[in-house]
Amino acid sequence: MSSSHDKPVDPNQVVLWSDDYEGHDVISTRTFGFWMYILSDGMLFATLFAAYGVLSYSHSYYTGPTPAQFVAPWYTFIQTMALFLSVLAYGFSMASLKTGSKAGVINGIIASMVLGIVFVGLDIHDVLRMISIGVTPEVSGGLSAFYALTQVHAAHIFVGLIWMLVMLYQILRKGFTEDVVGRLISLRMFWQFQAVMWVFIYVFVYLWGYMS
Amino acid sequence: MLVNVPGPWSPLLGRLALSEIPYTNPILAPLFVVIVLAGIALVAAITYYGKWGYLWKEWFTTVDHKKLGVMYIILGLVMLFRGFIDGLMMRTQQMLAVGPGDNGMKAMGAIHGYLTPFHFGQIYSAHGLIMILLAATPLLVGIMNIIVPLQIGARDMAYPYLNALGLWITAAAVFLIMISLFIGDFSHNGWFGYAPIFELAYSPGVGVDYWIWTLELVALGTTLGSINFLATVVKMRAPGMTWSRLPIFTWSAVSANIIALTSFPCLQVALALVGADRYLGTHFFTAGFGGNLMLYTNLFWLWGHPEVYFVILPAFGMISEIIPAFSEKPIFGYTAMVLATFAIAGVSWIVWLHHFFTMGMGPYVSTEFSIATMLVGIPTGVKVFNWAATMYKGRLTFSAAMLWAIGALFLLLIGGLTGMMLSIPAVNYMVHNSVFVVAHFHMMLLCIVYAVFGAVIFWFPKVFGFKLHEAWGKIMFWLFSAGTFLVFFPMFMLGFMGETRRLDWPFDPHWAVWFDVQEIGIVVYVLSVLAFLWMIYVSIRDRAHHRVGADAWGTSRSLEWLADSPVPFYNYAMVPHINARDEAAWRREHGLSESRPDHFAAIHMPNNTGVAVYIGALTFVIGFGLTWRIWWLTVAALVLTVLIMIYRSGKGDPGYVISAEEMEKLDRQSRQNMSDGQQHLPKGGGYTGGTVTAYSAAASDQRPQDTPPGNSRPLS
Amino acid sequence: MLKKAKLSHLRYLAIIPLLLLLNGCAKHSIWWIFNPKGVGAHASFIYMMIDVAVMLAIVGVTAILIVWFMWKYQKGKNRGTYDGKWEHSRKLEVAFWGIPIVAVAFLSWAVAIHGSFAVNPYNPTIITKHMKPKGDPIQVDVIATDWQWLFIYPQFHNMAVANELVVPAHTPVFFKLTSTAVTTDFFVPQLLGMIDVMPGMRTKDALESNNLGTYQGIAADYCGAGTSWMLFKTKVVSMADFKQWAHGVENSPNTMDYAQFNRFAEPYINVKDKTPVYGHVEHGLFNHLLLEVMDGKKWPLPMFMTENMFHYLKLQAAEHRA
Ligand code: HEO
Ligand code: HEM
Ligand SMILES: [Cu+2]
Repeated sequence: MSSSHDKPVDPNQVVLWSDDYEGHDVISTRTFGFWMYILSDGMLFATLFAAYGVLSYSHSYYTGPTPAQFVAPWYTFIQTMALFLSVLAYGFSMASLKTGSKAGVINGIIASMVLGIVFVGLDIHDVLRMISIGVTPEVSGGLSAFYALTQVHAAHIFVGLIWMLVMLYQILRKGFTEDVVGRLISLRMFWQFQAVMWVFIYVFVYLWGYMS
Repeated sequence: MLVNVPGPWSPLLGRLALSEIPYTNPILAPLFVVIVLAGIALVAAITYYGKWGYLWKEWFTTVDHKKLGVMYIILGLVMLFRGFIDGLMMRTQQMLAVGPGDNGMKAMGAIHGYLTPFHFGQIYSAHGLIMILLAATPLLVGIMNIIVPLQIGARDMAYPYLNALGLWITAAAVFLIMISLFIGDFSHNGWFGYAPIFELAYSPGVGVDYWIWTLELVALGTTLGSINFLATVVKMRAPGMTWSRLPIFTWSAVSANIIALTSFPCLQVALALVGADRYLGTHFFTAGFGGNLMLYTNLFWLWGHPEVYFVILPAFGMISEIIPAFSEKPIFGYTAMVLATFAIAGVSWIVWLHHFFTMGMGPYVSTEFSIATMLVGIPTGVKVFNWAATMYKGRLTFSAAMLWAIGALFLLLIGGLTGMMLSIPAVNYMVHNSVFVVAHFHMMLLCIVYAVFGAVIFWFPKVFGFKLHEAWGKIMFWLFSAGTFLVFFPMFMLGFMGETRRLDWPFDPHWAVWFDVQEIGIVVYVLSVLAFLWMIYVSIRDRAHHRVGADAWGTSRSLEWLADSPVPFYNYAMVPHINARDEAAWRREHGLSESRPDHFAAIHMPNNTGVAVYIGALTFVIGFGLTWRIWWLTVAALVLTVLIMIYRSGKGDPGYVISAEEMEKLDRQSRQNMSDGQQHLPKGGGYTGGTVTAYSAAASDQRPQDTPPGNSRPLS
Repeated sequence: MLKKAKLSHLRYLAIIPLLLLLNGCAKHSIWWIFNPKGVGAHASFIYMMIDVAVMLAIVGVTAILIVWFMWKYQKGKNRGTYDGKWEHSRKLEVAFWGIPIVAVAFLSWAVAIHGSFAVNPYNPTIITKHMKPKGDPIQVDVIATDWQWLFIYPQFHNMAVANELVVPAHTPVFFKLTSTAVTTDFFVPQLLGMIDVMPGMRTKDALESNNLGTYQGIAADYCGAGTSWMLFKTKVVSMADFKQWAHGVENSPNTMDYAQFNRFAEPYINVKDKTPVYGHVEHGLFNHLLLEVMDGKKWPLPMFMTENMFHYLKLQAAEHRA
């Protein structure tokens, strides 16, 4: 199975050292690693979803309000649109990367950022509204889980926005170096992944919560 | 939002106050003095010999996977020692405290024994957390760090800087838990801390906060590490290193890191939610207000169980490297071994509920998880049988490393037998939360420690170019094994006598004699620690006599044994081309061991960086600030961390290039270094038929002493 | 589930380790797990023996094989023939997977499934199946505090006794358990297995014993500084004695209403092993507390019973000596 013991080997024929092996492909290695990170981030969300699932029975809300009483699916739908358009904008930006157009990339990222900021702004506004009507995480286990899930996601979006800002600066300073391109690709994965997570949150927390 | 804590709080210092330093505690105060003095002595010595620059340049800022690995291992060994001291204190307490009556040392404020209940609680909690996450995990990560890139023919890990970051964040966790000894308290709720006792109402001090942030830091460090390992193995393999040629140790590293990557987020979330309960007044795990305390238990063990396989799988990998090398045979059933490894990893995800059968979830659920738990026994059994079959028809050399590996096998058998008892609900109800469970998992966790000692001895010459002293390694093995037997066999017995775990006052006088036996075991353990230190000392002193060449044991098999010993910073002058599963053995068997590259190419290496140290230090500050609720400090450290990260990302690391000519020079030098020990070099073991040229049976029997250990010596 | 005949059949399997382990042990009552005196604990013990027998057969043989290989194939001894190429054998590999698969299948069926139903704390068939002829079961409501136990007997004027459990022999006893503090575990090693006792939640367990005697009850899960002292003696007495004892308790002038319970539930380490009795407990106290805890009621620990316990322990030590 393993080494072919019996076949004699001609020391002059066998290849022992690789001549042309020049390390590894930086971008593909980095992208793979980032996939791994996405996987662990997915587990993080999965755990939060599990917690939310366990804490969304009617008794989990104790005597406090249930999502049906305070979520606003149409309001959140605007958030959804903002995030989707942001991802789309980022996609355009990446399309321009293929053509090497700096302006295209930068414009795409700026559009993506603006839409992301809209998302976060709407989220903050929504949280303030809920707090003002007494829907706070201290009220019940159910609300704690509601806030944990939605705000952890918002925090991810916030981090993504800072990342975009950094990337804008780096593109302007350095142009499309291997590092910068690698990071832009990772950021795309990150951003798309957050959008996917948002779909789950929107469906399971907002829509489902509204209906039940 | 931020809940009010009992006791004083100030914006500047948070909950920190002078009274939090236990200078009146008759145990901690002297210890504190000793540690401070030792620290001063160390600093003074380093300053005196002018080694700060060397340490900083060569070690602290390094991104070399071998040096990082060595630092991981040193960290792990130091924490293993700290954990052992905890074990010693627990055993002594129980020995002194057992039985009714007022047998406490009043000077120390105890009713029974010499520890107060709260202090005892802190000790086992710290012991459990330290041993699993800050001793075993760093030891394993350290060895994987050194060996995995070598085994796949890479020059370094995929992300050398991330690797350093992982180390320094783990170090931050170590500092955090060590500082809890002297500032404030540690958690007393066990290493896994059950709900709702860790809520602020029942644990008002900072202990639980220390526990949360220590765990969060290790979790972060380990997750970063696991991403790195996976990317390394997937992306950095040398040409010819196909999946079916991957050494078993690397396979187990892959499986273990898949577990780590996917399971640690559960822990991070679970603890963050505990933190939210304590800091923000949420109700995830409270009994009232719609919280669900069983949710915590589920989330914790959803991580906790995969975690124990995360630590055992690399240990299995080490055993799988050591046994073939000293049996002079390839591993039996390579494919089955790999399959079994992944079967264990897979099943580890669906068994977590066996840690709380007693929660009363009904016979259907219990049965399902019981059967799932027992399923793990199947692939584990395959592994054990395969190791035995590897020894069958072998030529066994009982070197120190081999002894540790075989010892690990026996511990695995005992631990597995008892684990299979625990996995039956009907049996579990009787011994859950008893010291029987404690004995079960110590068998398993010590199996890891055994494998680690074996691996350290086995791979030491690869990293440092000389072997550890064999005889002292064996003495240490026998002492350690005697200690293990004396401490943990009585624990099984006490479990059958109904002693529950975590008793700071064991109430039944019948148990006393068994505690005394355990205490003798502790003394023997102490001796083995001394033997270990002496082994290190003797080995370093006589290192000139123990120099080795690339193939340090003469019978080793996998790729790493082609690299020079000590491995130069670039690992391989030319990346090897892999022709067989056990490349080193294959080359030896075909008389190609001596072959070296005859031409060289330029290579690219990463620069050292202090950034990882700074970020590690800052994560410590964040943990400390959160623990003591010093908000400004936490926020400042967090912002600074982000800024440093952005700065580093902007600066990037161009690395540096070593030209082909220089490589040739370096290679010549490295060869020169090794040839010192060349006369001691063992020549060829293993399969002797076919075209083997480098092996001569006659010569091997007349070799001088320092040849492979016990080459033809009897078992000592 | 399991037919009586089958159980006794399986019992033979257990004989070897049974003999080995019991021979010296059973006489000394300290081997609690090997010396079960309750119906549930006894069943658990039998299942343990079956499990150990099967596992020991495999693990033992494996260990012996390893030792034998170590002896036979030691280098330089020339006891066995060396074959450095032997690394695969289809037959062996099938056996290596097959043996544990068969063993696990057997254990799953014989002990995991059957055992789980037999000693299921909520409905232990080993007790409930034979219940009718033995008369009415006794109900005991268990409330754990930091760090005491309160046992309420609803059928006996709602009387209660703290830190001591008295039950009649030959009679099923059904427990309802909750905690007003933190999670712990209800455990009488020789009589019945553990069941978690959790705040805001109600668990159940059942006990039947045919052996008169006094057995140690333990709070088996860490629940704070007083865990080690949170013990309760469990007395199994004849029905007549039980009736008489109950009569005495019922007539005790102590009663426990909600206010009294609030005092009782203050954190207290029971170093003196006090066992106060209460002739009457306010009706519905168990459910009331359950709901109240779910509403967030707590009896929190003061700082001086966690961090720096010196002062508290001095008080306790004084009480202990007194
Ligand atoms: C490295 C660590 C490690 C490992 C590898 C294991 C392995 C196993 N464990 Fe253990 N465990 C570990 C660490 C722990 N366990 C624990 C607790 C624990 C509990 C809960 C106890 C309780 O609290 O009530 C159960 C049921 C088990 C079961 C098992 C089983 C079935 C295996 C199996 O993987 C063993 C498989 C091996 C076998 C079976 C032997 C070899 C097989 C042969 C020879 C073939 C024949 C086999 C068959 C026929 C099946 N463990 C705890 C408690 C934590 C705490 O409470 O603090 C810890 C830390
Ligand atoms: C070297 C000798 C060791 C000794 C003497 C020792 C001793 C002990 C003792 C006395 C306990 C407490 C038992 C009780 O609760 O009554 C304990 C608990 C524990 N030990 Fe060890 N131990 C040792 C090594 C290890 C190692 C190597 C590990 C892990 C890698 C480990 C992990 C644990 C864990 C997880 C606990 C449970 C802590 C808890 O209850 O929360 N121990 N040990
Ligand atoms: Cu487990």
